[in-house]
Amino acid sequence: MSTIKLSIDGQEVEVEQGATVFQAAREAGISIPTICDHKDLSPYGACRMCVVEIEGVRGFPTSCTTPATQGMQVSTRTKRLTDLRNCTLELLFSGHPNSCFACPHREPCETHRPQATKAGRSTRCGFCANREECDLREMVLTSERQELKLPVMYSAYKLERDDPFMDRDYNLCVLCGRCWRICEKIHGEPAISIINRGKWSKISTAFDKSHLESGCNFCGACIDICPTGTLMDRYARWQGKPEHESVSACILCPNGCSVKAENKGGKLLAYTMPGFEAEDRLCALGRFGAAQIVNSTKRLTRPLVREDGDQIPMSWDDALQSVGKGLIARRGTVVVVISATTTREERFIYDRLATALQGHLIVLPFEADCETPKIKELSDSVQQGKVQALITNGPLVSPQILKNVEFSLVIDCLESMASQLATIVLPSAILSEVDGTFKTSSGKIRTLSKSSILPGGARPEWMIICLIAKVLGLNGFDFDRAETITSLIQDDPAPEKFEREPRNNCRDIPIRFRGHLVADFVPGLKAFELPTTLVDEAEDEICNGFALLEKKEIAPNMHLLIIEAPQVARFALPGQFVILMAKETSERSPFTLADWDANAGTISLIIEEVGRSSRELTSLTAGDQLAHVSGPLGLPLSIQEKGTIFLGGGCYGIGAIFPLARILHEAGNRVICMIEAASSHLLYWQQELAEVCDELLIATKDGSGGMHGGIQEGVSSVTEKEHINQCIIIGCTFMMQQVSDLTKTFDIPTLVALNPIMVDGTGMCGACRVSIANQTQFACVDGPFFDGHKVDWEELTLRRNAYAPQEIQALPQGIHLTSCLPTSTLKMGD
Amino acid sequence: MQSKTKPILEKKRTGKQRIKIPRQPMPEQDPRRRRANFEEVPKGYSEEVAILEASRCIQCKKPGCVEGCPVNIQIPEFIREIAAGKFLDAQNTLKKYTALPAVCGRVCPQEIQCESRCILGKKGEPVAIGRLERFAADYARKHNNIQKQPSCSHTGKRIAVVGAGPAGITVAGELSNRGHEVVMYEALHLAGGVLMYGIPQFRLPKEIVQYEINMLKNQGVSIHTDYVIGKSETVDQLMKQGFDAVFIGTGAGLPSFLGIEGENAIGVFSANEFLTRANLMRAVEFPRFATSPVIPHRAVTVGGGNVAMDAARTALRLGADSTIIYRRSREEMPARDEEIHHASEEGIVFHLLTNPIRIVTNERHQVTGVECLRMELGEPDTSGRRRPVPVQGSEFTIPADTVIIAIGNKPNPLIPQTTPDIQTSKWGTILTDETTMLTSKPGVFAAGDIVSGAATVISAMGQAKIAANAIHKFLIGETMGM
Repeated sequence: MSTIKLSIDGQEVEVEQGATVFQAAREAGISIPTICDHKDLSPYGACRMCVVEIEGVRGFPTSCTTPATQGMQVSTRTKRLTDLRNCTLELLFSGHPNSCFACPHREPCETHRPQATKAGRSTRCGFCANREECDLREMVLTSERQELKLPVMYSAYKLERDDPFMDRDYNLCVLCGRCWRICEKIHGEPAISIINRGKWSKISTAFDKSHLESGCNFCGACIDICPTGTLMDRYARWQGKPEHESVSACILCPNGCSVKAENKGGKLLAYTMPGFEAEDRLCALGRFGAAQIVNSTKRLTRPLVREDGDQIPMSWDDALQSVGKGLIARRGTVVVVISATTTREERFIYDRLATALQGHLIVLPFEADCETPKIKELSDSVQQGKVQALITNGPLVSPQILKNVEFSLVIDCLESMASQLATIVLPSAILSEVDGTFKTSSGKIRTLSKSSILPGGARPEWMIICLIAKVLGLNGFDFDRAETITSLIQDDPAPEKFEREPRNNCRDIPIRFRGHLVADFVPGLKAFELPTTLVDEAEDEICNGFALLEKKEIAPNMHLLIIEAPQVARFALPGQFVILMAKETSERSPFTLADWDANAGTISLIIEEVGRSSRELTSLTAGDQLAHVSGPLGLPLSIQEKGTIFLGGGCYGIGAIFPLARILHEAGNRVICMIEAASSHLLYWQQELAEVCDELLIATKDGSGGMHGGIQEGVSSVTEKEHINQCIIIGCTFMMQQVSDLTKTFDIPTLVALNPIMVDGTGMCGACRVSIANQTQFACVDGPFFDGHKVDWEELTLRRNAYAPQEIQALPQGIHLTSCLPTSTLKMGD
Repeated sequence: MQSKTKPILEKKRTGKQRIKIPRQPMPEQDPRRRRANFEEVPKGYSEEVAILEASRCIQCKKPGCVEGCPVNIQIPEFIREIAAGKFLDAQNTLKKYTALPAVCGRVCPQEIQCESRCILGKKGEPVAIGRLERFAADYARKHNNIQKQPSCSHTGKRIAVVGAGPAGITVAGELSNRGHEVVMYEALHLAGGVLMYGIPQFRLPKEIVQYEINMLKNQGVSIHTDYVIGKSETVDQLMKQGFDAVFIGTGAGLPSFLGIEGENAIGVFSANEFLTRANLMRAVEFPRFATSPVIPHRAVTVGGGNVAMDAARTALRLGADSTIIYRRSREEMPARDEEIHHASEEGIVFHLLTNPIRIVTNERHQVTGVECLRMELGEPDTSGRRRPVPVQGSEFTIPADTVIIAIGNKPNPLIPQTTPDIQTSKWGTILTDETTMLTSKPGVFAAGDIVSGAATVISAMGQAKIAANAIHKFLIGETMGM
């Protein structure tokens, strides 16, 4: 093919004919900003960030759609282009929560929160799981002008959690179209496309159906190509950016697809596509299920040896000795049964062991169950006493066989009926924990490379067999790496073809992997009607609960709950909190009372969705029952006439200061209320607060309403005008700390309502201990109010984050059909 | 009613023959296995073994065991019934004296109570009274055949029981049986108190506790969980609402800490928190249950009581190398022998005569170790135990990522704080008349750890029984105008 020459920013560039200006620039190492372009997608020209100037061409053509021609003179970095791109970026960002860029406290805030908050709706970067990987954010942070002037037009689309594997929040979408384009490229007919017009343009399925009914095959390509946090893998969502990526193969079925294993800290986050071509596509099990299987809580992690009826955990050495004794006595009557989805090296070594023990190897076809003729045959041999010992790498034979053989060794990664019945269980490695090769049913040889850390005492199967051989004194098992076995393998058969094609239809996902029902470890697969032994958790039903009378999302991610709880309502005092449990399986989580009605016996709470407990609560709808409401708890605020009182509230604190404002005002104080939010559309209860205080001030981090900044800026500006006798601050730890530091310099007495992790909330456990002037106090019974100038904020912050990994692990993986429908009042930013 | 199983007839044995039967061992889970699970350690007697063990009892005329029992169970009577294969009768006998036989059979320190007074113990080994009690209760529960106590006619009297722990349950059971209307208030979301949040599953399965609570409900006791008396109604308001008497059994729920450097580090827990997460909140079943589990690798538990054993054994089961440090010697350890024995059998390491002086932390405020001093025993102190004295210059550090402080609990202050006319000691315990458990406030009784400080389940039940008798007399107007 012929080439052409052109000049970009004065640099001579030679490219193949047919390349676009954008591609020419990229090849020459000249970077042009873009959102919608992707190297594996055809040009689209949607975002208009890649505009350039071309001599002799009118206007500002998009470089991604303009073919390069001979002699073309292109400029990518003129002042006019920078201005134009900044305008474009602002317009793009007006549909994407962006307040963090305009926030004067962004840097200290992000230092304070090294991980993004696990919010339901990502209303800002600090609440977005994609913060570290966001192309948009990257573009702003590296652009010359970071200031954004246009307010956010928050679309208030509902959160989509109605399929087994994806979380979708189209409030973050900038309509770059990468998702539907990759869907079309891979599957031909895309399952998603742009619907509606103008401001209400949105990516969706046809007729806005659930992805389960849309023809989506859950290959996950759209997630991997999305430049924002709009499309997320629910399981990996909050686990952070992968630290290690390596090419490997998925052996969950004989297709043996090539995958990219994404790991963080030695933990598999996901198998993703190795590229964005049709043949790279994965099935839902490989893409979303592999990590859930590898990280399952049902992994076998230590050797077990049966003694007097009970399986006893033992050291590897002791367990191997027992294996040796069991096998040596039964030489000649040993059968090894393995699954077709075993690596070549392991199959080879199992075969060698079977031969050395004068037994034989049975390789079961993929997905075979106990009704397979080979197993029936084996059953007969066991009955006749011809087979006395069995080695198997999964629940591949019937429980009857396991009960009837004298000795059974199960070498497996996951718990099963087989591991429960076995004489000895040895824990093995799986998927991303394994090195080796795999022959696919089409005869291709793929390489598996170990990228994850093995759980507990688990070991690779080839190594286990070599160790057993050593105990038995067998020759020919002297291997120290899987690789050293590979060269010995000759003419191994390819596994039988898997008749269905799960990559083309998610309902064709294999039911079993090595005899295990995959849906037992990947519960989301129940959505495809895969069989499972898991029982539905309807047992969590609430019998004597507390009625939820009203539930509203009064600002994005901020929910008002009105609950019938007369024993709380009748005795509540300002500043007290309650402990809530949505279900019997929930945590006991504290929430400050935002209001109550003693006569009606109801309490009001403002709950922000930031994790499992708050999600369980905010997912309830009016008419549902909460399992438990306990309170009122904590010491109420002592109400005195002090003069001018400044009440500052942020996030849930806006609701929490409401009853304080009311009673302090009634007590004769001049009450100045100040509320802050990232952006004006996240504010609530302005009217309600204005009615109970003398002055209501507003601050937004992006300057879209009231003062630009936060409570800090508010305190400073008020002190310029009048004397404040008392500050009371309720909100996130970061804000309370910042305000306390400031009021200390002004010498204003400051109370803060602390929010450490609690368990019982009644003084019984001490989980909530905080250091106040070097004295330990329990926030639940000595607080929640403390002198902000005496709090050890660093300790509080660290203690609050003590369970961060568990909190991510606790997030629900199930399908959520009633997720947070916005109210009709939620049309923001217009 | 008799069981469906074939009645096993007691073999006629002479006294001499009886004495020759050895004490029947309790089948237990192998320590190597149980250190990896939360299943109950002792498996319980089979019917045959229970009959054999029961046959050892020589049915003394003046049984010391009954005197040794804080609730004075007629022990020879229920043992005779077991020996005769009348297991349900045995349970009914037990129920006359204790609301919670399945619990007492498991957690009572029988070796210093009933069994210490058994005449057989003078020469050989005492009858395994606790194991037989457990057997009878478990048998009845499994056969779901616990007979309702014949209920008396209603007296029309109402009593509020604050706190649904061992004391409260005992009082509620006793008074409800005598025809009074009982309303219980529990601050936590499940009734049972320390039986639910403190004692681990492997020592007392929670299903048993909830079964007993349900029995109480069937008996007509109403139980309000999530109800914090003192924050909602005060005791005075309860009285005004028409309760004729109030019983306070709020326990010792305020954990003590050592007051040493680094104690607020991440990884330092009160035993209450550590055990509450695992037991009440069922964090061992995380993530189905949402409460974050503690995942210890090297756990150090400070203390020598039963709670310390429970915490250290729980840490072990969660996968840790588990160590106990105690500042005195083995002789002074307040834990039951059986618990210490079980703990060491499971591989828990004991550092005796060792006192923690500092928690060592890293830059992220996480625990990395416990700095300790060796101790030696000096002169006896007021408790009669020899006082530990530090050995100068003996500092050493035990590596740890989890430290559990199990040095005791203080009484829950909520009720005394909100009820000014209830007198308390300088330790915060409620002062009572020991023959009636009446407090300084008329009509208000108290028992259990709120009166005696942190003690045992059975001592709380014993006190509660005294209180129940006194309350009954008070309600029917026999005594105490006060």
